[in-house]
Amino acid sequence: MAKLVVDPVTRIEGHMRVEAKVEGGKIVDAWVSGTMWRGIETILKGRDPRDAWLFVSRVCGV
Amino acid sequence: MSEESIYESLLRKGVSRRDFLKFCSTSAMILGLSSSTVPKIAEALEKKERPSVVWLHFSECTGDSESVLRASKPSIAQVILDIVSLEYHETIMAPSGHAAEKSLKDIITKKKGKYIAVYEGAVPTADGGVYCFIGGHKAIDICKEVGSGAMANIAVGNCACFGGIPAANPNPTKCVGIKDILGGTVVNLAGCPMNAENFTAVVVHFVTFGTLPALDKHGRPLFAYGKCIHNNCERRPHFDQGQFVRQWGDMGHRLGWCLYEMGCKGPMAYQNCPTIRWNEGTSWPVQAGHPCIACASPNNWDDAYPFYKRMEGVPGVGWQANADKVGLGIAAATAAAVAAHGIIRAATRGKGPSDKEEGH
Ligand code: SF4
Repeated sequence: MAKLVVDPVTRIEGHMRVEAKVEGGKIVDAWVSGTMWRGIETILKGRDPRDAWLFVSRVCGV
Repeated sequence: MSEESIYESLLRKGVSRRDFLKFCSTSAMILGLSSSTVPKIAEALEKKERPSVVWLHFSECTGDSESVLRASKPSIAQVILDIVSLEYHETIMAPSGHAAEKSLKDIITKKKGKYIAVYEGAVPTADGGVYCFIGGHKAIDICKEVGSGAMANIAVGNCACFGGIPAANPNPTKCVGIKDILGGTVVNLAGCPMNAENFTAVVVHFVTFGTLPALDKHGRPLFAYGKCIHNNCERRPHFDQGQFVRQWGDMGHRLGWCLYEMGCKGPMAYQNCPTIRWNEGTSWPVQAGHPCIACASPNNWDDAYPFYKRMEGVPGVGWQANADKVGLGIAAATAAAVAAHGIIRAATRGKGPSDKEEGH
């Protein structure tokens, strides 16, 4: 059994890691994780709702 | 440096001599240099090799890369990708995983002291920096490693410059800008996102003169961030005459009046948006009818906030006065208002929120 790790995954926005368990040339299990957290939900708490779009539109700029 | 000169690279991509010279004069114009420097810029771009660039992403949204890649004239994207040799950029590079990591290692080892490092995104420092990992390494460690071997460090976008959105209150991951990690000189191309034309101009300056352009106290190049948006805004005559938008879609909004009453932070913001604009010089937020959010100012996500609330104490409106008092809207009063404007302005200098930024 081999474990395959792809980190960083490129040509995407943000940071992502893929781990895959390989048995007999086949993937039998896989884990995908986002490896960056900014807490934009936390930052939004208590703010004027009219301003929310300016923050959340920057979750991803692509 | 890669072997090909910038001009050779542009020619290979089918950019004409005419477009090349146009690009040189546009760069001189953006940099605030006289037209007599155009031949010098052209000569430098013709002869000098393209500087290698390592472009890193930390806590960010990739908006600055988009700003560059979507730019144009004659496809600035093309020009940027031609004036620099982009050696590492996760969003557009082919290799991933170990191969990507290896290319980064190779570049910073082989070209130590000879590459430009560009940073997009803030660096989280809470809990030992665990909130941003790339290839199993913390952003803070990558930043230090790459930054220590770079010949120039350029932060693009407000997150990389000052912490930006992730650093907004309560800054859950204790994000900071690149300069807080590296110290020394970091060029801050602030903005959310930064303007690609300013990035190009910095690179052209570096290639032509071998130095970075003059910076303000926030590390931002003076050629791009030396002037207050409010002073260059095309809606400014309406501000001076007290003609304000008071509701979205009202007559004033349709006629392009001043957005101060709707929360415009132009009076505290410094950037060349009104002159350079965006998308091939097509428009910029205020021209499109939205108030400025001072996106190139440090801490704008807290200091310019709430975005739709009118700023108090804007020089020109008069300290403690408000737009209603200035908004006489009578032609006969305009001359007096303009004269008074100068006096109030002189008397209130140093008191308004525009001084949050200072340093000019
Ligand atoms: S307040 Fe805003 S819209 Fe009005 S003149 Fe100043 S920058 Fe322009």
